[in-house]
Amino acid sequence: MKIRMRLARCVAGGAALAMGLSLTACGDGGGAGGAQEFHVLVYGDAANKVEKEIVATFNKTSDVKAVLDTVPGADYQQKLQTVINTPQAPDVFFNWGGGSIQPFVKAGLLLPLDDMIKKEPGLKANFLPSVFNTAVVDGKAYGVPMRGTQPVLLFNNRAVLADAGVQPPKTWDELLTAVDKLKAKKVTPIALGGGDQWPTLMWFEYLYDRVAGPGLFEKALAGDKEAWDSPDSRKALSMLKELIDAKAFGTNYDSVKFTDGGSAALLASGKAGFELMGSWEYSTQQDASPDFAKKDLGYDAFPAVAGGKGDAAGIVGNTNNFYSVTKKTKHADAIAKFLELMYSDAFVKSQLAIGNLPTTTNTEKHLAGAANPDYLKYQLDLVGKAPSFQLSWDQAYAPENMTPIHQAVQQFFNGSLDADGFIKAMQALTTA
Amino acid sequence: MTATASRAPRARPRPGRGVSPPGVARPGIGWAVPATLFFVLFALVPLVLVAVLSFTTWSGLGSPRFAGLGNWTKLFHDPVMIKSLWLSLLLTALGVAVQTPLSLLLGVWAAGPQRNRAVLSAVFFVPLLLSATAVSVLWRALLDPNFGVPAQARWLFGDGNLLGSRTGAIGVLVLVSTWQFTPLHALIYQGAARAVPTVLYQAAAIDGAGTVRQFFHVTLPQLRNAIITSVILMVVGGLTTFDTVLILTQGGPGTDTTITAFYMYQKAFKGFDFGAGAAIALLLVLVATLVSLVVVRVSGYDKMAGTKDGLS
Repeated sequence: MKIRMRLARCVAGGAALAMGLSLTACGDGGGAGGAQEFHVLVYGDAANKVEKEIVATFNKTSDVKAVLDTVPGADYQQKLQTVINTPQAPDVFFNWGGGSIQPFVKAGLLLPLDDMIKKEPGLKANFLPSVFNTAVVDGKAYGVPMRGTQPVLLFNNRAVLADAGVQPPKTWDELLTAVDKLKAKKVTPIALGGGDQWPTLMWFEYLYDRVAGPGLFEKALAGDKEAWDSPDSRKALSMLKELIDAKAFGTNYDSVKFTDGGSAALLASGKAGFELMGSWEYSTQQDASPDFAKKDLGYDAFPAVAGGKGDAAGIVGNTNNFYSVTKKTKHADAIAKFLELMYSDAFVKSQLAIGNLPTTTNTEKHLAGAANPDYLKYQLDLVGKAPSFQLSWDQAYAPENMTPIHQAVQQFFNGSLDADGFIKAMQALTTA
Repeated sequence: MTATASRAPRARPRPGRGVSPPGVARPGIGWAVPATLFFVLFALVPLVLVAVLSFTTWSGLGSPRFAGLGNWTKLFHDPVMIKSLWLSLLLTALGVAVQTPLSLLLGVWAAGPQRNRAVLSAVFFVPLLLSATAVSVLWRALLDPNFGVPAQARWLFGDGNLLGSRTGAIGVLVLVSTWQFTPLHALIYQGAARAVPTVLYQAAAIDGAGTVRQFFHVTLPQLRNAIITSVILMVVGGLTTFDTVLILTQGGPGTDTTITAFYMYQKAFKGFDFGAGAAIALLLVLVATLVSLVVVRVSGYDKMAGTKDGLS
């Protein structure tokens, strides 16, 4: 029976191989092989510096050694999905919380961390609750934050706003007025990298949050399809439509991308007044237009919506990245010790040094030594005081929904879907 | 080759097994083993596995579950799938229509004895040497509505929303593949045009045919085989285009440039629905085979007698 299962998996693996996916062999050669070690699988990028440091720190004192495996960013999710149910599965792995781990939880592959937390309450208490909760599935904790938070902020070009006599808007009406004033100055009011699709989604996330509060999306995510057809949902859509029709984003936003620097350049060059973007906009601008980042890059929370049910302090974005633990691990105790390092002073300092903002309760006291303390402090306050932190929709839903969500938001913006069409598209998503 | 055989007179006695006709040593069957083995291992086996996978549901987690015809019935009722097939065919047809005349003229011209021909040919050939990824990134930057060419030529491009509009995006995809692959096809035509016997042109000249008539009445008929080869390459290449879409449009706006190959990628590697991805892949193989067969049949390529054709 077991052989049969393995054969089936090998066949399937071979087929996947034929479709261009690299796959590890189907043998039994697990990584551990009796040695006292556990494997940590992480997304390979520039931030790996800190992960390497932490593993080295941990191995200095621990009998059970941690082994860091990195997979280049673009291939990470595919690789993870193919190995997680095999003997080569990592013991600890990087993820985005929410929908990104949901299929694994459903397949019974992940270890609930509640026992660990009972023994060491710091594993929960030392993290900001709004962030920690992103990796809670069905009331059980499945992850510990391990990098920096990425709230979405409304960035602006101070010089452009000043020139048009515009203050950073505190309310939706002020934003609409600002749009008119910027248009009069022949400036695209809001830069948008619509070609990437996910920047467009950010506008939906914030408007739904402000108009209906975070509850509507949570309900929809839990399977209540009617939530999308509620009056609040329709109101959010009509407000978005108003903004699009006012040409707030210009007319060629779908030909612009954030990922190739297009929309960020619009803001930096003064061709646009605002851009709604994740907190990484700051380091992006610092990289591409250092002068602008230093002098004129402004940032604010998303405006409040009068009469909306959502708190103006609520935020959306990527709450953080998480370490989750697979059920098959034999070293849960050692891993608990490893995870405790994620709120150590050394960890926080290393993350700050590379521009990440950890979401631990001790982050604040290390801010002064960072390169851009004002910006980090602003973000930390924002995240710390936020009554809710909505994970990006495309990460909150299970992965198969990412493409349909992106298509629907793009089509609503370019007019090929109306409100009814958008609602139908969202109702067609698969839910837990 | 086999094509010659089909026209060979039936009366000629076929050489028996192991007996070679005078002057031609027929290689032993053993020589076919390595190629056959490679073909089976790297073409047939994966194809069969993909076929098996297309009848299962598999997210990459655990073992595939048998799903019967589920993937296939869903596929045939999926508006995006049907649209993607039409789009693939449209892009392929546009590619053939635009690239064939261009590369034909360029190839025939490059076969001539003009000055600087070699240098210019080398320059024309450059796009083919670049990777599709580099080409796409380059064009993306070039066509940026705010900082690229459209920003400098508003009278021509309007607001420059090329990649964000349906017609614009399709146009850009055709343009980019034309820019990249015309040199390859020009090369094919150059080779073929050089093989046209000069006596034909001399005879035509004596009969009073000018350059244009010579092109239509001598060159073009002589290039028939080359044209068919080139068109088949375009068809297969067009139907399986992927990288330019991935980088230039990501299938957008909406699903307006979601061609079949890209849709397969979306289903399998972004949605983790490998069963559906396999079904799409298989469907694409079937369509590409079918279209190629039609091209071969319609053009009479299957009945051609090699170099003797056209001279007789």
